Amino acid sequence: MEYTGGMENVGFGLGLRHEHYEEILAAPGKVEWFEALSENYMIAGGMPLYWLDTFRRDYPMALHGVSLSIGSIDPLDEDYLKDLATLIDRVEPMWVSDHLCFTGLRGINLHDLLPLPYTEEALDHVAERVMRVQDRLRRRLVLENVSSYVTYAASELTEWEFIAQLCQRADCEMLLDVNNIYVSAFNHEFDPKDFLRGIPRERVRQFHLAGHTNNGTHIVDTHDHPIVGGVWDLYAEAVRLFPGVPTMIERDANIPPYGELLAELDVARGIAERVMRAPAHEAAE
Amino acid sequence: MTRSNAGSLADLQRAFQDYVLASQPAFTAQVRDTSKADRITLLNVYREGYALRLIEVLESDFPGVRAMASPEDFDHAARAYIAAHPSRHPSVRWFGKAFADFLAAAAPYDETPAAAEMARFEWALGEAFDSVDVEPLRAEAVMTVPPEAWETIAFAPLPSLRRLAFTHDVPPSWQRREEVEPGALGVAALGTTVPWMIWRPERMSNFRSLEADEAVMLDAMVEGRPFPALCEALLPHVGEDQAAARAAGLLRSWVEEGLIASFSH
Ligand SMILES: [Fe+2]
Repeated sequence: MEYTGGMENVGFGLGLRHEHYEEILAAPGKVEWFEALSENYMIAGGMPLYWLDTFRRDYPMALHGVSLSIGSIDPLDEDYLKDLATLIDRVEPMWVSDHLCFTGLRGINLHDLLPLPYTEEALDHVAERVMRVQDRLRRRLVLENVSSYVTYAASELTEWEFIAQLCQRADCEMLLDVNNIYVSAFNHEFDPKDFLRGIPRERVRQFHLAGHTNNGTHIVDTHDHPIVGGVWDLYAEAVRLFPGVPTMIERDANIPPYGELLAELDVARGIAERVMRAPAHEAAE
Repeated sequence: MTRSNAGSLADLQRAFQDYVLASQPAFTAQVRDTSKADRITLLNVYREGYALRLIEVLESDFPGVRAMASPEDFDHAARAYIAAHPSRHPSVRWFGKAFADFLAAAAPYDETPAAAEMARFEWALGEAFDSVDVEPLRAEAVMTVPPEAWETIAFAPLPSLRRLAFTHDVPPSWQRREEVEPGALGVAALGTTVPWMIWRPERMSNFRSLEADEAVMLDAMVEGRPFPALCEALLPHVGEDQAAARAAGLLRSWVEEGLIASFSH
């Protein structure tokens, strides 16, 4: 079954974090949209849903999950999909995303985004599951590239080849996390621009930006620091290749005041504006 | 076409999970060194990250237990719990569900029953916070009940209501959790069991201790028993001539406190 996605540029957003609830109320309209973490709101009621409804009245939202485990060899979790469908009815999100990874098996959730081997076998497995989830949710799924720390001996494809083929086969879309591309490129020693150039332009639904921790020998995706210069440079390249894609910043630890993230988001706005105003020149193809 | 799970994708996922959970070293053969880092360093990002992430979840869900235990003891208890109770829920929000039971039953934590009671209190606060929202019953609504209906009327509490019992001074100590250094929060033994309740009438959760007869009547009400049975439940505590008045008085205070959701008769 095919589901179409309207590619609308809704602009610049932030992750909805409870630390900022009061500040968001006090400073309305500073972002164009919010991304809410699905699992935080897959509950019966209470304060989390009160706040979600409050902000949803004033802002468009995207839903972003961490536990779909689309690549796992465990069966799809039907209860999870049911709860997610209920939340989708409540929020009416612009789109619904999760990660291209597995989070555990045998019913255990490691609460981590473990990378898949980039093999034909994994591609078959994930594509089939993406199509089933899309039929269940009656919408296209948006999948995010994860930061990864290990390279599998078994991988036959590059990550971007795997993603491009998955989008084609399963008719899904991508959430390009620019920081994750930067982190994985450093850890696995590839050129992050090769990654960007390998992604089909019409499949990119959203960008993520975030900070990380550089340990010298490897970088860990910690979401606890401001965005570094190298990631901003890569973001400029991403905007050039995929113009008009909505952007948001993720911050999950060391959470600063709302105003500080808004200032960081202004940097993103500035870069996107500068790139869009620059004389059109095609990327090397 | 049939598909088996015996392929290399399945093997890889099992080996990875076993490496993270149980330090099974076989998985290292499936991973490459890079020019900058060896594979063990890289795999440890996952293994240590797994534990640290869940320890952080317990730290934020159980600040009172954390204030009672030294950082080393809390870390020890958290790691033991993580090993005994891997998460089986899509949200980390549920990960600490069995922490109180674990502290109550597993050595050496069972020697400090106040810690398990604190964990039980903190978990119940979280449950009240996330419970279904129901507007409390207003006092005027009870006024309109015709006299004959009191023979069959039954009351239902808010979904957020949690009944607890402590042999230690848990909720008052919990309120001091941020005023002390980690490990310095003392929770005195009471020498008796005191009933408590938590409920959330609107956005803020409330909690308070209960009189012995009040606890008995509240439990009877939660079971759905009608008003005459609630009066009867009080009999071990008050005289027969006092029971109806005491029951009516308690009911009135519960309605005023926003603890009752509805009634039927
Ligand atoms: Fe991300």
